[in-house]
Amino acid sequence: MFRLILSRLIQLPVILTVIFVVTFVLAWVAPGSPLDRTDGRRPPPEVQEAMLRQYNLHSPWAFAGSYVRNVVTRADFGPSLQYPELRVSQIIGQSLPVSAAVGVAALIIGLFMGVMAGVIGALKPGSVLDAASLATALLGVSLPAFVTGSILLVIFVGLLGWVSVGGWEWPGWDFWTTAWWGDAWQFLRRITLPAVTLGAMPAAYIARLVRLGLADIMASDFIRTARAKGLSHHRALFRHALKVAFLPVLSFLGPAAAAAMTGSFVVEKVFNIPGLGEYFVNAVLNKDQFLILGIVLVYSVMLILFNLLVDIAYAWVDPRIEL
Amino acid sequence: MRFSAVRWSLGVMLALGTLAGCERQDPTSSGPVSDNAKAVLTFASSTEHHYLDPQKISWLHDFRVAELLFTPLVRWSLTDMTLEPAAAAKWEISDDQLTYTFHLRPDGKWSNGDPVTARDFVYAWRRALLPDMAADYSQLLYCIEGAQAFFEWRSNQIQQIAQGKLNADQAWQQAIKRFDETVAIKAGDDHTLVVKLASPTPYFLQLCAFVTFFPVHEASLSKLEKVSASTGMIEYPAEVTNYWSDPAQLVSNGPYMLKSRRFRRDLEAVPNPHYFDRDKVANGGWIEVISTNPQTQLIEFRQGKIDWLPDIPTVSPLAADLVNQKLPTVHVSPAAATYFYNFNCLPTLPDGRKNPLADARVRRALSLAIDRQTIVDRVSRLGQPIARTFIPPGVIKEYQSPSDAGHDYNIELARQLLAEAGYPGGKGLTGLSILYNTGQGHENPAQQIKRTWEETLGVVVELEAYESKRFSELLKGKQYTISRASWFGDYIDPSTFLDKFQTDGGNNDNGWSNTQYDALLRQAAVELDPARRMTLFTQAETILLNEAPIAPIFQYVNLDVYDTRLKGMSDNPWKLRRLDLVSRSGR
Repeated sequence: MFRLILSRLIQLPVILTVIFVVTFVLAWVAPGSPLDRTDGRRPPPEVQEAMLRQYNLHSPWAFAGSYVRNVVTRADFGPSLQYPELRVSQIIGQSLPVSAAVGVAALIIGLFMGVMAGVIGALKPGSVLDAASLATALLGVSLPAFVTGSILLVIFVGLLGWVSVGGWEWPGWDFWTTAWWGDAWQFLRRITLPAVTLGAMPAAYIARLVRLGLADIMASDFIRTARAKGLSHHRALFRHALKVAFLPVLSFLGPAAAAAMTGSFVVEKVFNIPGLGEYFVNAVLNKDQFLILGIVLVYSVMLILFNLLVDIAYAWVDPRIEL
Repeated sequence: MRFSAVRWSLGVMLALGTLAGCERQDPTSSGPVSDNAKAVLTFASSTEHHYLDPQKISWLHDFRVAELLFTPLVRWSLTDMTLEPAAAAKWEISDDQLTYTFHLRPDGKWSNGDPVTARDFVYAWRRALLPDMAADYSQLLYCIEGAQAFFEWRSNQIQQIAQGKLNADQAWQQAIKRFDETVAIKAGDDHTLVVKLASPTPYFLQLCAFVTFFPVHEASLSKLEKVSASTGMIEYPAEVTNYWSDPAQLVSNGPYMLKSRRFRRDLEAVPNPHYFDRDKVANGGWIEVISTNPQTQLIEFRQGKIDWLPDIPTVSPLAADLVNQKLPTVHVSPAAATYFYNFNCLPTLPDGRKNPLADARVRRALSLAIDRQTIVDRVSRLGQPIARTFIPPGVIKEYQSPSDAGHDYNIELARQLLAEAGYPGGKGLTGLSILYNTGQGHENPAQQIKRTWEETLGVVVELEAYESKRFSELLKGKQYTISRASWFGDYIDPSTFLDKFQTDGGNNDNGWSNTQYDALLRQAAVELDPARRMTLFTQAETILLNEAPIAPIFQYVNLDVYDTRLKGMSDNPWKLRRLDLVSRSGR
C-alpha cells in the first residue's frame, strides 16, 4: 500500500503538468478575449493592449511562463480576470469549503439512501418494496437537478417557508456556548435541500448498483454454501454479500465525491450557494484563464486523491485485491 | 429555462406576500454601529463585484456600491434632476466655459477623519487617465486639456518599457511630472480644484458626478502602488489587492463606509460618522446580498429579508410575469437605453461577397418590416415603449427627437425600397443572418423578426447564436450581417448615444461612416448655445435614422421590485439613485 501511495504521489506532478498543458491550450484557443464585454462601452485599443499586458495575455508563452513561475514559487494562481480585485486562491479558498460541505452532505445522503433502497430491493426481489425502490431510483436518475431543486425550493422555501436560501453562515465551533446549537441547526436547515438535490442522482445510482450486485452475489456459490450451512438469509446478505456488492459503489464514489465536492452549477444557482460550481462554469464562459486553470488544477488534485482513497478502501473491503 | 409552473407559483407567492403585508423582520443580526433608530436596508445584486475601485468601475452593480462609499464633487438631486453641491461646496465656470474652479467644503472628511483635499481628486483623476489602470471610462476625461495627449504619451512610454528601451521607475517619475505639467487638473490649494477643458463640454458637471470622477484617498492607496519591473505599469501587488474588500484598509468619503465584504455572500455599508451630511442620511446603512438567481431573490423578498431587487433581468420571462401581475411592489419605468439591431454597412463582407446592406435602402426596408409592437406585446411581453429613434424620446428634456424618424412598421414602403435597391420581392437578397448571444433572451425577438422578414419581404434569414465571447469577437471584427445590440446612456446628453456612430469610434460596430454626421457632432462639441447644440444633435440623429445603420426596436425599461414602504427611491430613466435618502416607514 505504501508503494501505491508513493507511486501515485510521484505521478501527481506529471499528471498535473499534462492537465495544465491541455487546459491551457484549450482555454487559449477558445474564441474571444477574456477582457471583452458583450454590452457597453469598449475601452480604446491602447487600454485593451494595456490590459492584455497587465495580465501577460499578449502572448501564450509569456502567460504560461509567468503563470507557472507564480504558482511554483509563490503558490499564487493569479487574479481572476472577471473579478480582478480577487485572487483565484481567495475565490477557491472561500468557495471550495462551501461546495465541499454541500458535497459531503450530498454524498452522505446519497450513500445512505442508495444503500438502503438497494438493500430493501434485494431483500425481497420482485416485491412491492423492490418495485418502489426501483421506481424511486429511476426517478432520481431521470430528474435533472434543476427540476428536483426547483420543486424542493417551491415547496419547502416558497410555500412552507421552513428553510431559508439567503446567505451562508458556517456554524461556530465553540461547543461551550448555547448559540452553537442554534447555529448548527440553522446550518443544517440551509444545507439540507441542496444536499438532497445533489445527492438524489448518486443515491439512485448507488441503489441500482447495490440492488443488482446483491442479487448476483446472493445467487453465487459461496452464499449458497453459507446458506446450506444454516446461515440466515439476512445474515448472509448483511455480513457477506453487502461487502462485496459495495465494491462497484466504491469505484463510483471516487469521481462522484470529487464532482460533488467541487460544486454543482445548477444546485448552487437554484439554492443560492456561494460555492465553486458556478464559478467553474462562468470562468469557462468568460474565458477567465486564471480561474479556469486554478479550478481545473484543484479539481484534478481532488480527483486523483479520491481515486487513491478508493483504491485503499478497495483493499480494506476485499483483502483479495492486491495493491 | 422556462418553468411555467415554477414561475407561476413564485408569482402567486409574491402576490400573497404583498397582500399579507410581508412579515418583516430585522434583515440582519449585525446591525449598524450607530443610529439605531433608522432602519438598515437590504438590496440584492445578481453577481459578485467586478470592481469597487471607482476609476475601474463600469458595471451597474458596482456603481451602486461605489455611490454608497464615495461622494463626488457634485451629485444629483433626483427630485428635480439637477446637480447640487456635494464634496464641492460651490464652483465657478469661466465665461468661455473652459475653466471650472471647485471649492471643496472645509468639513469634507474621509472615513478615517482625514480632510478631503483637492489633491485626492487630482490623484483619482490621474489614476483614471493612466493606461496602466486600463480603466474602461478613461475617455470621459479626454475633454480636459492635455488629458488625451497624456494618455497616449504614457501608452507609448509603456510600449517602450516593454521593448526594454526605458527604465520602469524612471519612466514612472517622468509620467508623474508630465501629468502635473501638461494635464489641466490642478490643486490650487487644499480646498480648490481647478480644471481647464480642451473645449466647452456642457455636460462636464454631470461627468463630475460620474463614478470615474469619484475621489480616492491618496494617502492610503498611493502607498500600495508598485511599478512593475517587467511591464513598467503601476500595479497593486497580490498581497494588497484586498484594499477594496478590507474595511480596515478602505477609506471612503461617502455617506457610508465599508463594514464587511464577503465574497459571493454580502457587503455591509454602515453610516460614515465623518460624512459632512450625516444628519440627512435617512437610513441606518445598507446590506447588499449577492444572490445569482432572481427566483431565489424573489423568495427572499417575499420573506421580508430583502427590501429592494434592482437586478431582475428585464429580457426574461420572469420579468414579464412579474410586470403583468401589476403588483404594487413591481416598479417599471422607461430606461435611457435602446434595444436595436446593427446592420453591417461595409461594402464587402468578410468572406469577400458584396454586402447588400451597404445600400441604405435595404437597411431601411428591413427596419420598416420589423413589427415592434408585436415584439413588446407578445414576445418580450413587457410592453416596453417601441423605439423609432436611437435616443429614447423624453429621457433628455431639452432634446427634440427627429419627428419623422422613418422607422414605422410599413411593409408597402419596405417592399418598394427593396425593389428600388434591385431586390424585388426579396429576390437576390441572400446571405443575411441575425447574430445574437445566447442565454439572455435574445432568441425570441430574433425568431419573430426573421419570420416577419421572410413572410413579408420574401428574404431568407438565418439565425446565428453564439456564447457571449464569440459573439463579441464577431461583432468587433464586423463578421456579421445583422446583429442584436443595446446601448445605455451614461450621462444626460445626446452625445452619450450619438458618439457611438462616429466614424472610427471605438464602439462603432457597423462600419458606418457619414461625413455630415461626423461634422454635426464636431460642431455640437464646440457649440456654446444650448438650444443650437440640441438642434445639431437632432440633425445628426435624423441622418442616422435615414441612413439606418441600425434598426431601433424598443426602449428598455428599468424593473425594480421594492416594498411600497421604501421612500425616496426616485425612479428615473438613468438609474440614478440617492441611496442615502431612502428610508423605510412603518417598521
